[in-house]
Amino acid sequence: MSSVRIHTPPVKLAKLLRTPGGLPVAEAVQRAGAGLAGLKNDCLGELTTMLDQAEACALRAGADYDAALTGELYDIVAKPIGVPSVCGLAAIDTALISLSDLLDYLKGQQRWDANAVAVHLRACRLLLQTEGAADAAGTQAILAGLRKVSQRYARPE
Amino acid sequence: MGLSPESRARFNLERASVLVLDESPMGMSILVQILTGFGVKTLHRCEKVEEAKETIAKVEVDLIVCDSMGAGGEGYDFVSWLRTSKIEPNCYAPVLLTSGHTPSHAVQKARDCGAHFIMAKPLTPIAVLERIIWIAREGRRFVECDTYVGPDRRFKNDGVPAGMTGRRRDDLQGDIGEAQSPNMDQEVIDSLMKTRRVEL
Repeated sequence: MSSVRIHTPPVKLAKLLRTPGGLPVAEAVQRAGAGLAGLKNDCLGELTTMLDQAEACALRAGADYDAALTGELYDIVAKPIGVPSVCGLAAIDTALISLSDLLDYLKGQQRWDANAVAVHLRACRLLLQTEGAADAAGTQAILAGLRKVSQRYARPE
Repeated sequence: MGLSPESRARFNLERASVLVLDESPMGMSILVQILTGFGVKTLHRCEKVEEAKETIAKVEVDLIVCDSMGAGGEGYDFVSWLRTSKIEPNCYAPVLLTSGHTPSHAVQKARDCGAHFIMAKPLTPIAVLERIIWIAREGRRFVECDTYVGPDRRFKNDGVPAGMTGRRRDDLQGDIGEAQSPNMDQEVIDSLMKTRRVEL
């Protein structure tokens, strides 16, 4: 049987957090939010570039599964998850997560579904162009549809 | 835990030294804006794992915020390296791991790398602050064995999994009856159990 050492190391961060001074939670959250708002234009630019790259990558796909291409597309779309929400486009985050799930499932099963990938990319483009101006019910319907598409490939537990 | 964004409670991160590891410039910018908004003044920004390792070897850090970094999960490998590096006190530093998407083959790595908490993106300032305060709590045990080095993953005190025999001396044995009333909140239980100084 292997040896196990269990101990409780001191946590300096706990003491620092309690140091007098600092900020009230409300002010800190407001300051962080203001900082994030200043990134909006950069985030939109990054999303547009990502979509261009993803569409170009998907266009190179043939009819059969290509491990390298699937991996490349996964890296392109999974990396910016979290960025759209900074621009108030949380729906694109949900679409990117659904597409990342889909690509992960396809990779696991060594299959390719060009239509399923294309519908995700078109939805992202639409959501980006409308900048969330579309009605909430319409956006939710799009996201529910994407979820259905990606979950078709989810293996049962 | 439920930290209110309107709370007037104060916290201080001005003197904390924080290492941020994220290969994506935009991901890095988001974390930097959140942390500087919280008052952090000493930030070590690393875009590559090697830079982060060099920083860990050179300076003392109080908190690490690290991205999982792509399908390969280099961020998980970094945390595993940190825990086994024996570079004290950094090897015990609280680690908040962020992840946009965890591919199925990396789930085990994510669970076992030794991070204090894994946060799914998108991140919001209040959620990040809540987690920083949570992982900074004192008294969380650290486990070091052949297969795992990191904070005790049994932090919920849910007891031994159903159908299994406990492996620890302090695991309770025997059957437990049906609950007679709703469970107490873990925070309430912790506050009841914690030894406090009495002032007369």
